[in-house]
Amino acid sequence: MLAVQIKAEQEIAPLISSKKLFIFECLGCRDVYYPVEEAEQFIAGLKEGVVGKASLDYLCHREFTHEYIKAYASEIEKAQVILVFSCGVGAQVVSSLLEDKIVYTCCDTLYLNGFQGLTVQEFDCDQCGECYLNYTGGLCPIARCSKHLLNGPCGGSQDGKCEVDPDIPCVWQQIVDRLAKLGQLDTLERLGTAKNWNVSPVS
Amino acid sequence: MKTRSNLERVLEAGQFAVTGELGPPQSADSQVIRRKAKILGGHVDAVNVTDGQTAVVRMASWAASLIGKEEGLDHIVQMTCRDRNRIALQMDVLGIAALGINNILCLTGDHQKFGNHPMARGVYDVDSIQLVNIVRDMRDEKKFQCGDEMAVEPCLFIGAAANPFADPFEFRVTRLAKKIAAGADFIQTQIIYNVDKFAEWMEGVRDRGLHERVKILAGVAPIKSVGAARYMKARVPGMDVPDSVIARLQGVPKDQVSREGIKLCVDIISQVREIEGVAGIHLMAIEWEEVVPEIVGAAGLLPRPSPLT
Amino acid sequence: MEMRVMDYTKFRLKPDQEIREVFERVNQIFILSCGKCYRKFEEEDGEEYTRLLDIVGEDHRKIAGHAMIDFLCNDFLSTRRISDLDLSHCDSVGVVSCGLGVQFLAKLLEGTPVYALADSVPHSVNCPPEVGYHGISLEEEKCAACGQCYLNLTGGICPITNCAKGLLNGPCGGATDGKCEVDSSVDCAWVRIHQRLQKRGEQFASEYVQLRDYSTPSWKLRSDLSLQNQTLRGEGFYGGFHPLDKKEATADKQIEDFAEPQIAVIFLSQHAGRRSQPSVEVGDKVRVGQKIGEADGFVSSAVHSSISGKVIAIEARTYPTAPRKELAIVVENDGKSELDPLIQPREDFEELPKETLLEIIKESGIVGLGGAMFPTNVKFSPPKAVDTLIVNGCECEPYLNADNRIMIEHPEEILTGIRIVQNILGVEKVFVGVEDNKPEAMAALKRLSDRSPSVELVSLKTKYPQGAERALIRAILDREVPPPPKGLPFDVGVMVSNVSTLLAIYQAVVKGVPLFQRVITVSGEGLTRSGNYMVKIGTPLKDIMQYCFDKNVDRILEEYDVRMGGPVMGIAQASLDSSVIKGTTGLTVLRKFPVQASEERDCIRCGRCVEVCPMQLYPLFYGFYGKKGDLGKAMEYKVEECVECGCCEYICASKIALLSFIRQEKAYARSANKG
Repeated sequence: MLAVQIKAEQEIAPLISSKKLFIFECLGCRDVYYPVEEAEQFIAGLKEGVVGKASLDYLCHREFTHEYIKAYASEIEKAQVILVFSCGVGAQVVSSLLEDKIVYTCCDTLYLNGFQGLTVQEFDCDQCGECYLNYTGGLCPIARCSKHLLNGPCGGSQDGKCEVDPDIPCVWQQIVDRLAKLGQLDTLERLGTAKNWNVSPVS
Repeated sequence: MKTRSNLERVLEAGQFAVTGELGPPQSADSQVIRRKAKILGGHVDAVNVTDGQTAVVRMASWAASLIGKEEGLDHIVQMTCRDRNRIALQMDVLGIAALGINNILCLTGDHQKFGNHPMARGVYDVDSIQLVNIVRDMRDEKKFQCGDEMAVEPCLFIGAAANPFADPFEFRVTRLAKKIAAGADFIQTQIIYNVDKFAEWMEGVRDRGLHERVKILAGVAPIKSVGAARYMKARVPGMDVPDSVIARLQGVPKDQVSREGIKLCVDIISQVREIEGVAGIHLMAIEWEEVVPEIVGAAGLLPRPSPLT
Repeated sequence: MEMRVMDYTKFRLKPDQEIREVFERVNQIFILSCGKCYRKFEEEDGEEYTRLLDIVGEDHRKIAGHAMIDFLCNDFLSTRRISDLDLSHCDSVGVVSCGLGVQFLAKLLEGTPVYALADSVPHSVNCPPEVGYHGISLEEEKCAACGQCYLNLTGGICPITNCAKGLLNGPCGGATDGKCEVDSSVDCAWVRIHQRLQKRGEQFASEYVQLRDYSTPSWKLRSDLSLQNQTLRGEGFYGGFHPLDKKEATADKQIEDFAEPQIAVIFLSQHAGRRSQPSVEVGDKVRVGQKIGEADGFVSSAVHSSISGKVIAIEARTYPTAPRKELAIVVENDGKSELDPLIQPREDFEELPKETLLEIIKESGIVGLGGAMFPTNVKFSPPKAVDTLIVNGCECEPYLNADNRIMIEHPEEILTGIRIVQNILGVEKVFVGVEDNKPEAMAALKRLSDRSPSVELVSLKTKYPQGAERALIRAILDREVPPPPKGLPFDVGVMVSNVSTLLAIYQAVVKGVPLFQRVITVSGEGLTRSGNYMVKIGTPLKDIMQYCFDKNVDRILEEYDVRMGGPVMGIAQASLDSSVIKGTTGLTVLRKFPVQASEERDCIRCGRCVEVCPMQLYPLFYGFYGKKGDLGKAMEYKVEECVECGCCEYICASKIALLSFIRQEKAYARSANKG
């Protein structure tokens, strides 16, 4: 489920007006980030439309979700629309298990560092498939530079900050600092050639 | 001579070069370009045509260049990596060369966040250095980035930008070296107001002999008002405006500020001209093109060598 | 149901040439490899390192050492593991992990060059920035976390992660026979979307889908969320988690006296240690508070009757917290509530010497009421001097409010109890730790704290298991208790006592009333009379459920789980035949989950159990080796240090019955250590 935001009510309202609803709520990654109270308010606002609700951990786990669907079969049968509170993975799993039901999600999924929240970290890895960390003092320019630059800071780096937002540290400044510390400033001379964005998945 | 570029000819002849800048309109109005090109004609050796500067939608650089070309100017098409992947970039490189444009300036580009479409997706498939490299290989090796060969290469004089003032300062000379290694023929710098810092950077450039491998044009620009100076100091990323500059503008009566700004610009030109390794200036009088003749004249840089036709 | 477990391994070794280049740059390199995550846990895997040795050939002499660290990106644990390694004679460190591990190490070992020896593996059909992430479970579905979910328009199939072009407005012209033009082995996402929508009688929206807003969510929001998450998890102590506390149902309910049972089933074993010996016989008449079981040896405890009436049986009955029968004294109520004449208040309790106080506690049958049921008189006679008493008012288990209500309604008694314990232990400094979800309890104690300057109230972040002794000591005093089973709080000069126990001590010492009743919370789902009740020890669970559930309870267990204690550590009841014991903190009733923890499921190495273990253990191995029947192997992973808080099982993404394995493995370890 990872980190989600509840969608605006006006986006959902026209989809479900006067329909009977069954709700799936995933709490598996609640500790990562799930706005429990906001979701509760949203659900409370649906009132009489709700014919049933199942809260479970790890909606993305097909077997678990399948068991819950069996356990709540009669309520689900009655419902015209299934509403899902989870990340995009959970919503897709429910949708694929209930192929002939209309399934809507009430959440937008957010990106968190560390494989988008699976391993929440200060750092991030974009799984680009060509690790550049050996030339950048162990700081990733793909994940942390606003322009994914492989050849050093653009002209907008000032006082260690990225031009895009003063909240963002310029990773290239950090890289230069780190390499200076390591006595490896010469690696900056290396020309990072155009990146292969088409690295194949597991071979 | 690698190309038919007037700028290359001037620089190769060892003359102190002058380039200007022309911002295309945020409309389809070709008259704006003609008017600006007329002013610049005869006062600069080539003119940069910006490519969606500050990420605001404007007429395409190559199209504006084509219009300006009718006024007899040599153009430098700017090309950013923000909006095109390597496929589109190479297509445009072929196109501008075929249209008779002789120069290109390869840039990463201002981040889309600053423009009028902050919700746009930035491309950044390649960066400016990689783009320089791609264009050089297209010209000198007749090869596309993928390695495929082409029959007729794009003969472009390849430029890149350098910012001596951005952080980390120590890396700035290295980055220049990388651009040269990638294939840059000329460099235009960020606008210089802090001449001391620029001189320090040039010292680093000379230490590595880089000034002998590339033509460096020092970026200069007149300031119209104290407010503009303050804005540049505070808000424009990678811009270094010393307090002394602001003080100098504040030191004259209000109606004299723009005159003072022009004088300041001329002063900076004469200072950077003294620095070894500076091969010319790049004068950026955006939306104030009418002062270009005056500044170039006052700096003693007229007349310009007449361009080949 | 057929499960297809995808392998989402996050890295693979770099090409040989690149690895050799790294080895050319170094002289002495230490290799750290990560145990990998997000794949079915089948074997412990050192494959990469073996291959690395092959690749570098002669250069293997440059390898100064190798260590395998599971979940290398777990910075807290890995920092500790790495600090145990001797890296002093290395000029560099090589890392076989994904980008997270490398970046973490580069930061940790700032002065040492850190080299990546592996590349991360993309698992998306698209290239960045459309990285599709998988869920915690290893299914095929992926999500790009784009922050603007389109699934409601596309029949629940994501076009961003499934369409090679990420198209939002229908298929391009390239699909042939339902296959994607980019890769003919992949179904065209838009063909699938179309089919799904047809099945549902839905139409794809005819108006065009708006452009994506790539400026949202902002970098700041994302990094703030990441940081907030890290901070939240690290609060107070490593590990633990934040359950939905569900305390609101009974937080405001005053403690009520629960009706005396008709039949009380009072176990002779309501404490750690030896079972007590019955001191009555069948047919005897007993009074309320009369001792009916005598402590048998040093670690044992007395047992008292909670009602007046007649002993009708002494026999084995269903025990609530272990799957066995235990000897109990069964008393039939005569309805007279006659009090044992020995029960007399003491005026002079302030003057009593330590030994007398301990004797009173012993005779009153007081044990740790937080659930551990260790005889209090034994606990309060530590072999080492203690300097600090910590009063545990955390009650971190969801649903429970017994301690909370005691603090609200009996703060005076608790403070008196504290004074008595101070006298026994000779300690000056007292901390009362209360989780910040109990403001009322905190306020009640605060109103009285002026009178006890040595007592300091500490508000603690609400986090499970804050109430575990070790976590509490770490959070309040920042002292580290040596690992169990040997290490105990007195090793660091601390004694921890629960507020319920202090109330019992007050009752025993000041009022002369032995422990025959206690406050429990009955809460959960489906109850009509949830609440906090003062119940007689020995009250049958059936009586309580009958009252609180207010329906026929004969078949309640078919639909509901009844747990003695809270939902995390509480013991699920196989029947309602047992009764309340001294360690009963509450009864939690939860609708039966369609999915129960099982010993059969496979671990997917998501690492969550490692993140939540407050003892800093690696619980996944207990399940892994437990399932293989290799119980001794768990000792290598320090299973004896486990405090059975239940965090790992609670968080487990595969719902593996980890606690069951752990208990078997701990028992095995105990017998192995004895033998």
